[in-house]
Amino acid sequence: MSAALPVLHHRGAGHPEAAAEFLRDKERASWHDDALWFVRQRRDRATDLPEWEALREAGSALKAHAMSRLADLLEEFEQRATAAGVMVHWARDAAEHNTVVRDILHGAGVKRVAKSKSMLTEECGLNPFLEADGIEVVDTDLGERIVQLAHQPPSHIVLPAIHWKKEEIGALFHRTMGTAAGESSPDALAAAARVHLRDALLHADAAITGANALVAETGGVIVCTNEGNADLGMHSAPVHIVCVGIEKIIATLDDLGVLLRILARSATGQPITAYTTHITAPRAGATMHVVLVDNGRTARLADADMRSALHCIRCGACLNTCPVYRRSGGYSYGHVIPGPIGAILAPAVDLRAHRSLPFASTLCGSCADVCPVKIDIPRQLLTWRERSAAADALPKGYATIFRQLGRILAKPIRFARNGRLSRFALRTLRTLRFMPGAGIANRWNPWTRPGRDLPIAPHETFREWATRTGRRA
Amino acid sequence: MNARDTILSAIRRAAVPQAPPAPACSSPAPSHDLLDTFLQVLATVGGQGVLRTGTQTVPELLIDIAAALGVTNPADILVVPGQCAVAENGAVYVDAADLTARADIIRVEHLVITVPRDGLVPTMHEAMQRIPRRSACGWFLSGPSKTADIEQALVIGAQGARTLHVIVDVD
Repeated sequence: MSAALPVLHHRGAGHPEAAAEFLRDKERASWHDDALWFVRQRRDRATDLPEWEALREAGSALKAHAMSRLADLLEEFEQRATAAGVMVHWARDAAEHNTVVRDILHGAGVKRVAKSKSMLTEECGLNPFLEADGIEVVDTDLGERIVQLAHQPPSHIVLPAIHWKKEEIGALFHRTMGTAAGESSPDALAAAARVHLRDALLHADAAITGANALVAETGGVIVCTNEGNADLGMHSAPVHIVCVGIEKIIATLDDLGVLLRILARSATGQPITAYTTHITAPRAGATMHVVLVDNGRTARLADADMRSALHCIRCGACLNTCPVYRRSGGYSYGHVIPGPIGAILAPAVDLRAHRSLPFASTLCGSCADVCPVKIDIPRQLLTWRERSAAADALPKGYATIFRQLGRILAKPIRFARNGRLSRFALRTLRTLRFMPGAGIANRWNPWTRPGRDLPIAPHETFREWATRTGRRA
Repeated sequence: MNARDTILSAIRRAAVPQAPPAPACSSPAPSHDLLDTFLQVLATVGGQGVLRTGTQTVPELLIDIAAALGVTNPADILVVPGQCAVAENGAVYVDAADLTARADIIRVEHLVITVPRDGLVPTMHEAMQRIPRRSACGWFLSGPSKTADIEQALVIGAQGARTLHVIVDVD
């Protein structure tokens, strides 16, 4: 394509290296930041309800309740769904999930699959697995189709193509769908995608969807979309497979009422999505499968300090508000779920591989403030930092710095001495004009490298001020 | 052990302390007329409200709607009964039992939903009570199909219905 996208997805490198890569294109980074902040502001307007905090409390409580009765609720769901003619499958991990799905598709002679949004199938790597088996998979959410056509993973859990500019999408569609060269109006591009995707959806042999929730009380699967793509697939194809993590279950329709009030408001700032489907049984002549997936969730459940991460309803509010996510992009996290929630989920998958993620945060707490189910993300980030240190898995160089800092902070006299030294350095050695680069604000200092300056230190410390004015330090 | 038993026993081994059910939620007393709120929110989600008084029939209103849309093929419009309309989000609940085929709701170009006057509820809390307990499939539909996946620009008519009208009985 003509408009070259920066290679954002990193392999092996940590978050700081990948973020630096993202930030090299300053104009794009700033545009990305603004786009996410725009969504965050829409969320603020949509959540301006007198009962909003009570809804968050209820959202947190209904999830905590569901986690405390998880096995019972899953059995209740299975029993009702089975009675309604749904085939329920269980999968311990990603590989088993992929095999279960492939076997269902093989059994039904499926060649073409229309898939709506599902972070679980991204987590399990379902698409490449099925494609290797000769099954064509079309992602039918517009944003997901954009990144699929470009052979990229989603960079955001709700807005998969938030990092794409319309001119780039125009070039991509020109190449893949034959739209007019130079066409970049969202209306025209979405119209072309409508024809392209409806064709894929109406001719698919099977539809795969995710689920925003499972309701134990009804045996129902809840699917929310704005485009209607999940419905177009599931009510048209002869086979419908729902791929869902076990933590998505809730107890009752009353709980669903709360969930639906907080989900879209937090995600995109809408009062509800255009389509909210409650499906409990296949239509006549069609088959419906639900694959319940563990893939690390039961281990998380057993981890009391980290358990509440399972409350996540994948609204993306913590991504949109995060100053680090907005300025580093989804790919800098190197995990299927990016942003603050990804930074507490990824270390559970592989602490060493994702060692930089618990540090990809200023612990400002904005994620916890917007989370509609009140997950204590900053607290869990800290806990992962502690565990990284205990497991000798800190990012390179951190152990030395922390050891030094620990020594300094442990003794008041060392703290005072180092404070004096730092203030002197910040006042006099910040920049050495006669010897560029020799001061502490230079291009080798990661803080000042992006063009940031260091603060001028005050002449008097708080303790000096307290002593001078006769107050007890 | 098979996958099912492995997962269920791992969950039970995790021994999560009992947490009580979520407290019942109710919406605060509506500060505005429900119908006004519904119509206003419906407009913001891209739908159009039509009020039906006792002297008008649905077919009469449909002729007006079709004319306004410039639709000449009757197959391009689907009229379905809605069971309740939610003031806070402009959504209308439609049950698949009221359709010939489920796919109709999503394939049709223009969707028209009728709602009885007593079908208006303030929020999703009340709406949940209106879902038939043994429903095989149903939808909350809030405005027409839409997408904002291209630079957050709202485009109406993504993959489902391009327009959505809600006819509300007012007598």
